[in-house]
This record gives sequence, structure tokens and C-alpha cells, in this order.
Amino acid sequence: MKQKFLVFLFIASSLFASGFQLNEFGAKAMGMGGAFTAVANTPTAIFFNPAGITQLNGTQLSIGSNIITLGSTFRGVSPNITEYKLKDQIFTPIIGQFTYKYDDNLSFGIGLGNPFGLGTKWDDNWIGRYITTEIEIRVFSLQPVVAYKIFDNLSLSAGINYNYADVLIRKNVNLAPFSTTDGQVKITGDDQSLGYAFGILYKPTDNLSFGLGYRSKVKYEFSGTTSKVAPAQLAGKLPSGKTSAKLTTPVNLSVGVAYKFDNLLLSCDYQYVGWSSYDSLNIKFNESNLESKSYRGYNNSYIIRFGLDYNVNDILNLYAGIYYDKSPVKDEHLDPTLPDANRMGYSAGFGYKFNENIQLDLSYLFLRMEERKITNSEINYSGIAGAIAPFNGVYNSYAHLFSLTLNYSF
Amino acid sequence: MKKIKILIYLKLFIISFLLTSCEDRSNLSAPIVENGSANFTTFVTIGNSLTAGYQSGTLFESAQKYSYGALIAKQVGTTYEIPYISDPGTGNRMEVKSVDLNKGTAEIVYNTASGSPLNSNYPKAYNNLGIPGATLYDIINATSSSNCYAAIYGGSPNPMFDLILRGKGSQFSQAKSLKPTFVILWIGNNDILGYATSGGTVPYTPVANFQFLYSQLVDSIASLNAQVVVLNIPDVLSIPFFTTVPPVVQNPADGSLINLYGIVGGTTKQLKLGKDFLTLTSKSEIAAGKGLSPSNPLPDKYVLDSAEVATAKNIIAQYNSTIATLASAKGFTLVDINSVLNNIATSTNGVLFNGVRFSTKYLTGNLFSLDGVHPTSQGQAIIANEIIKAINSKYNANIPLINVATIPGSIILQKYNSNNNIIPIFNNDKFNILF
Repeated sequence: MKQKFLVFLFIASSLFASGFQLNEFGAKAMGMGGAFTAVANTPTAIFFNPAGITQLNGTQLSIGSNIITLGSTFRGVSPNITEYKLKDQIFTPIIGQFTYKYDDNLSFGIGLGNPFGLGTKWDDNWIGRYITTEIEIRVFSLQPVVAYKIFDNLSLSAGINYNYADVLIRKNVNLAPFSTTDGQVKITGDDQSLGYAFGILYKPTDNLSFGLGYRSKVKYEFSGTTSKVAPAQLAGKLPSGKTSAKLTTPVNLSVGVAYKFDNLLLSCDYQYVGWSSYDSLNIKFNESNLESKSYRGYNNSYIIRFGLDYNVNDILNLYAGIYYDKSPVKDEHLDPTLPDANRMGYSAGFGYKFNENIQLDLSYLFLRMEERKITNSEINYSGIAGAIAPFNGVYNSYAHLFSLTLNYSF
Repeated sequence: MKKIKILIYLKLFIISFLLTSCEDRSNLSAPIVENGSANFTTFVTIGNSLTAGYQSGTLFESAQKYSYGALIAKQVGTTYEIPYISDPGTGNRMEVKSVDLNKGTAEIVYNTASGSPLNSNYPKAYNNLGIPGATLYDIINATSSSNCYAAIYGGSPNPMFDLILRGKGSQFSQAKSLKPTFVILWIGNNDILGYATSGGTVPYTPVANFQFLYSQLVDSIASLNAQVVVLNIPDVLSIPFFTTVPPVVQNPADGSLINLYGIVGGTTKQLKLGKDFLTLTSKSEIAAGKGLSPSNPLPDKYVLDSAEVATAKNIIAQYNSTIATLASAKGFTLVDINSVLNNIATSTNGVLFNGVRFSTKYLTGNLFSLDGVHPTSQGQAIIANEIIKAINSKYNANIPLINVATIPGSIILQKYNSNNNIIPIFNNDKFNILF
């Protein structure tokens, strides 16, 4: 009988998949499809390639925000094609960077951003409610960096990042063989952790540049609490109280090349994301002395980015970009916590100079995820342990992102 | 040079945008339900409590909507009107007050509140014509509580007949009024169940009468010119009602087993484990000290001794052979539900359906509701799937089976802070009423 109730502990799991990672640290970089590693010529460089800040004069400040909306539908469970829609939510990750050029060779910078900051919310009565009803993950990252120009055409940079993360997971619990209402479990937790970053910018000629940016993985040991709602008769069987979970966000390595033709700057990035460290998600319910393990087996993934920056005149620049982001989630493990898929990103934006000191960047990015039809799901949506109830169906997802950054140079 | 580059970029951008931005819905279509030559235009189920979707001692909406008939109707996409009674149903619903999941034990209480009929004004006959308590005799003959078998031969009118028949004629005549194209008939259980659940103190329908009545019924059903599926009668002795309370108790002093005493046919005898059976209702009697000595035996109505067990098994076998012969003669499809339930009952660790384990264990076996006689909603789904398999085979159809893991649990937990009048476990006479 005990085994039967272990199912209560299956916790949604694709928490940190690529959809929850954000690479949007500034409007210009986003407008250029994120192909910014070899460009790195705004304070946003702190996150893409901190070596780039040696290109910035004086003291510079970038502040802004993104506005992100996600849309996703699930049609299933196969053979049914009933459509379920993700609830509307708006996410507003912050943008804040500051750089200071100490002398010709030495620069400092500090950046504040959200490398993760999304979530999904489904109806409390939807068919996948035993998999997930709500999840949200936010990471605030504060990254001080130092950059040094070794030669005129080569800059190196390194920094550390302090990260504060909080997470919320909510789902229903099937109380079968008992009837009528579901139980509910909600887990919240947070942690802080350190990581590091470095970057290289190499400009063999005035028009050609190469860049490399590296952000380390960050290990978290979340601690928090689990609260539950269940009939009094069964309450003792649901986990509650102190909860902990270990999680590691993946390493990111980007290499890029950019070339300038007169007024047109073209750039291209390859970003490697080391998801394979994400083997399984283990959540410990200390007071119930139980551990929920869910196997993930993510693939490493990559993103290929192309971007352009077209200098129209002294006050106006136009940006455009396109990228392809490979999903790390295998078909059989895809779940609605994060309806991930290979995705295409299309971006456009502009930069407008009000005067010598103030520039506004505004960009829009549309993300279209490939339709994903799952026929071999290993996700059991029945909420009954051991049951064979594969969550097969069709996912369609997209996202709209708006980004606004105000750059001020002193 | 510059312009050309920009144009190439723009073209690439637009082309790839167009390629991926439109949702591809071409590979989706509604599930194709292939009914083959089965005709579900008008679908009727006729029977007793098992057909009605009765659970945990009462008839209530949240159980009725998972009767096998309702589940099949949903799979084939046909209309199926149900005489819904709002929760908690027709009264005395059995609910779990407290539960020890590790021991698999629970304290059961009766919810004395009752619901009310939700579509008693439905102008036509219901598609679910299962009446809790109905016997074989009743299908053609009973038109109200006052002329049902229980009233005529037991002196206890069964109000379920008024509730479901609403003065519009017998179960059969109402089924006929719908001009059904597909009929499922599952009847005869109560003709022997009352004998068993009363410890052999209530008579069963003699086999000759059963043969006559069943023959008459299949003739009538055949006259409807519908496609017909019939189910046979499961072995009543494999239900938790008889397998939960053993005829022995443990001696607290040394752990040895003490065989209880019970009255059978007027004489007191010592009961043997595995041979003699006690009803679920005997539990509180034993708790009160009954059966521990020959001078204080368990009353007859709690004891189904080995001879009565043999009689019941023999009668069921003859009923089932009657059903098989008569159904076959009319070309009806027979579902041997008796074998299916026996397989579950005789397996040591239960049987997996869609990965969920089912056994005939009381409370924890998933198969039976709290009354120990009637299936849970998931149990109904197992029955529905057996019927669907038979239909698929006979009519060359491809009706999808139900994933039993997705059918909600149906063991009712008592609501705290309600004003329910709590009655201690197992009201003794409750089970002498037919099901």
C-alpha cells in the first residue's frame, strides 16, 4: 500500500530546460538574434562576452526590461485531440549593467540579470494536472567582471556571479482509489550559489572579430517547504514540511564571429549548452523521509545564431536576427511543465541615439517552436504509481519577447 | 554588394519564418471510432445494480456516470441518458471515516444524507435501465415497487423501481419503447446473491424457474431485432463481502487460531477456514463476542457454510449454462465476465490493468467499492473493456479500450465537519436487502 502513495511524489521535472533559460540580457543583443559574442559592444557584453567591455568608453549604464509571453497548447491525450491551453502569464526579466573604463587597458563591469525566469501555469482541472499545474523558476544573477586588453586586438575577461534562485512547483495528487477531489502539493524553495564566467575578444583586423564567452554551471541546493491540501484521512500520506533538492544549471559556451562591411555588421554565434549534467531531479521530503527521483537524461544542446546591425545614419541603427535552438528534451521525457521543442527565433529591432550620451534600443523576438507530436511518452499522467498512461499528444508553442534597454554613457 | 547581402538575409529570414510559423495540424484528426457492423444509434443497458453503477451501498451520480454502459457509450459516442441521483445518492452511502493505509484497514460510516433525482422529467425511457435489486423476474414483470420480486416474495417493496421506471412500464417495455439498435443485458445476479449474502436464509430462484424466465426474456429481447450482448453471473463467493471476515479469530494469549461457531440450518457447528464463509456484516457481531463459544454462535444469516457454498456454486454454474445456451441460440454475444473476475480473484497478487493492480481484497484491491459487492468506477471500466473486446471481435469493430488508470477513484471519504449522522461500522441488516 505504501508504494501506491509514492506516486504523490512524482514531481514535474523539466524545470530547467532550454525554455526556462533566458539569453535576453539587452535589447540590441536580442534584436541581433543573440549573435553577440563577437560583437559585445554594449554593457550587455557582461553576460555574452565580458571581454567586450574593453571596447566601451568611460562609464556606461544600461537598464531595461523584457516582456515575455508564452503560449502553448497540448492536444491529447492521444487518440483524443482535446486542446488545452497554457494560462496567460507575463514575465518581466530585468536588465541592468554598468561598466567603467579604468584606463586604456583595464575595464570593470557589473551586471544584473535573469538567466532563468519563466514558468508555466495550466488549469487546475486540466488533463495533465497530476504532472503539473504550475511551475516557476527565477534566478537573479549579479556578475562583476574585470576585463583587460592584453594587446590592442585581444581582450580577456573573467568574473564571478552570485546567483539567487527561487522556485515554485505545484501539482495535483490523485488520491485513487479514494474519490472525488484531488489532493494538491505545492513546493517552494530557494538557494544562493556562485558561478564564474570569462570571455575573450580577438580582432585580427578592424572589420573582423572573434569572441568566446563562457558561463559556468551553477550548483544549487534548494531548501524550502512543501504544503499540501488533502482530505484529513489521507493528509498523512502526502509529503509536507521541509524539502530540499539539488539542481545544476548547465554550462554555456559561445563562440562567435563578426564582420563589418561599411555600415553593416554581420555576426554569427554557436552556443553550446551542457544539459547532460541534468540527469535526474531528486527532491527530498525531509520530514516524510522520502525522496522523489525522476530521471531526465537530457541531451546536450546548441543554438546557432545569425544577426545583423545596420547603421542607417548617425542616430539610427536597425537590428535583425535569426536563430535555431535545439531542444535538449527527449520525446519520451517531454512534459507540459515545459513544452519544449526545437525552436526558431526571429528578431528585429532598432537603436535610436537621442544624443551623444543616450541611446534607446528596442527589439522584438518571436519564437516559434516546432510542433511536437509525442507517441512514446514515458510520462504517466494518471497520477497512479506504476500505471501505464502515457501522456502522448501534440504540443504547439510560441513566445513573444519585447526588450527595451536604455544606455547612458557618462 | 551591401544591398545584395541585406536582401539575401531578408529572404532567408522571410522564408524560414514562413516555413515554421504556421501550425501544422494536418497530422491530427479526431480519433476514428470504428464501430464495424455494430450499430450504436440507440443503445440500452438492462440489468440490476451492476448495470446501474451502484457503489458503496447506494446509487449516486458520481458513480453512475462510470457505469459500464456510460463508459461504453462515451467510447462509441452515443447518447446515454442516466437516471442520475445527486450525491450522496439514495441514502446510507458507505464512506471512509478514517483509514490506515499501511494495514489496509478503515473505519466505515454511513452517510445518512441523500440526494435527489436530477432528470426525473426526462420524457423518454432512460438508456441505463439498470435497477438496483432487480431479479430476472423483474425485467419483464415489475412495473413498480409494489409488484417487484422483492415486494411479492419478500414483502419489501423496492423504491428503486419507482425511481427509475417512473410508472412507464417494465424495464423491458421501456427498452422496447426506445427501439434500441444495441442492447446489453446483465441479469440474474440477485437471483442467487440474496441467498448467499443472507447466509442461505433467503431462497434463490430455482434453476427451472430461472430457465423459464431467462428463455422468456431472450425471446422478448430477440423480438427487438437489436444487436445484443449478454453477461453471465460472477461467482458471488469471490467478492470481498465473503472473503474479508474469516471464520476464525486469533487467540490473543498465544496467537493460535480459534474456530468460530455459527448456526447453519438450525444447528450449531464449528466453522473451518477456507470451507465456511462469513459475511462482511458479521464483523461487528464477532466484535461483540458472538461466535466464540457453541453457546453463543453467530446467527445463520452471517454464515455461509461449505454446503451452502457448494449449493451457490452449483446454482451459478447452472444459471451460467442456461445463459450461454439461450444466448447462443439467439445469436447474442456472450461475455464471460465470471471467468474474468475469477482470474482476478484467484491470482495471488492481483492482476494489472493499464499498470494498475486489481485484486478482490476489500478496500485496497481497487476492484470493489465499500459494500464489498459492487465494483468501483475502475472496476466498471474493466467490465466495460471486456464488453468492448467482445463487440470488437463479433462486429469487426475497433472501439478503443478505456485506460482504467484514467478513471477516477471512487472510494468515498467522509467529509469532515458535515452534519452527517455517524453510524458505527456495518449496519447489520443492510445487506439482507437485495442488491
